Amino acid sequence: MSWPADHRSRFDLIWRSHRLEVLAYCVRRVSAVDAEDACAETFLVAWRRIDAVPAPPDTRLWLYGTARRVLANQWRSVSRRSRLDEKLRSIGMSPVPDHAVLVVQRAEDREVLEAVRALAAKDREIVLLDAWEELSREEIASTMGMTRAAVDQRIHRAYKRLARMLEPRLMTAVSPPVAEEGGT
Amino acid sequence: MTHEQIRQMIRGANPVKDPRLLEPVATSDLTIEFEERMHMQTDDRPSVDSGKTRGRGPIVAIAAAVAVLAGGVIFYLATRDDTPVATPAPNATELNQLAEYEPIDAGAYYTDADGDGPSTARGTFVIVEGWSSLIAGAMKDSTEGASYVSLLIGEVDELASPGCHNTEWVAAGPSAEAVAGQLATATGLTISDAVTPVTAFGQEGYHLMAEVPEEGHVAPEGFPGCEGDGEFDGWTTANWGNRYYQFPGQRLEFWVLDVEGAGGPILVEATIGPESVEADEEELQAAIDTLVITP
Repeated sequence: MSWPADHRSRFDLIWRSHRLEVLAYCVRRVSAVDAEDACAETFLVAWRRIDAVPAPPDTRLWLYGTARRVLANQWRSVSRRSRLDEKLRSIGMSPVPDHAVLVVQRAEDREVLEAVRALAAKDREIVLLDAWEELSREEIASTMGMTRAAVDQRIHRAYKRLARMLEPRLMTAVSPPVAEEGGT
Repeated sequence: MTHEQIRQMIRGANPVKDPRLLEPVATSDLTIEFEERMHMQTDDRPSVDSGKTRGRGPIVAIAAAVAVLAGGVIFYLATRDDTPVATPAPNATELNQLAEYEPIDAGAYYTDADGDGPSTARGTFVIVEGWSSLIAGAMKDSTEGASYVSLLIGEVDELASPGCHNTEWVAAGPSAEAVAGQLATATGLTISDAVTPVTAFGQEGYHLMAEVPEEGHVAPEGFPGCEGDGEFDGWTTANWGNRYYQFPGQRLEFWVLDVEGAGGPILVEATIGPESVEADEEELQAAIDTLVITP
């Protein structure tokens, strides 16, 4: 796939190729309302800085990095939130009662996501880029502006911490009732 | 529980497992919600091709895709992240040649791990303003004493066994795995994160975390309850003094690495004082992020 010299053609290619990935990236991290803002803003940044957007295969990483910064500086409109909440209800989706609330399908997922949320911001993002966006370590390093070694180090520590947090929680969640034993 | 098992669990909790599922909602009739927003932008808008929205204009195309978002899972992760990000620089200064505890400029520095000249492995990292030199690393102390953070890199020669009471200095290693095991079992440190294999700073090795225990500590003197010099001892390299710990509750993160050409395992120690300042911890982590160990 060639990289168009014309700005509009290039943006169109970026849009067609990556809009769903960027949308998914945002939906995975914030509420619906914040995600829509962030996704739109990410592509507006891409348009304004079209010459800075790298050609494939780095385009997606650049968009993820931009979306990450956009999310970190996001401003939310209460009035627009209420309108969108109403429309989400009309198509069978629950609006978000609060941004700090996790709405998940399974208890195990909730435990996992709560543990991930407890990680430091950068460690959390690295873990999610690894597990959700399924980026390679080199791609994560590029997206985060870190060295590969730094990513290795952080991801190792983050998974160790997650294991420490999740093992007791999941053991408690899945353990059957223990029968009381008599003394001997 | 292995790291891959954890990864699979996180993948299982992914609210949008397949981004293609967003295609229908990305072209829904909620487009109008965002046309107003886009109209506030300049008229120099891009042209995009988005299937159903073709012909409705670029504003519609962008807005349609971001208008309605699927998923019953909402996971709030948006946090402001202002951690300084440093990048390695080629013209690093050797820390071992600077006066100890003197303020140093922001920039790239390296330690000659065992202090014996050009044959040794190097640890190079970048620090921001406000740090001071150590023989084998650098430190930041925003207030005084128990708040400090530091990063040390050295070719480990001996380990205190244990760090307090009847301390003996035992030969370290010879492998990185052996040193990690000694740190975990012989030093008397409280292990908070067990030894695991790791790839870090471009090298293979082992990682563990520990805390300095209360035993032997008497405030405000330090560790007079430990015999000898009244210190909770840690480790040494062949050519500079021993590393000792000043405060109970100091958090220590170790990476013990086998580095080609080095005389022994390279030990990287990141220290966080019990009263450390969060901003300093972030600066320490930023420095760790830039660290590269080269043979």
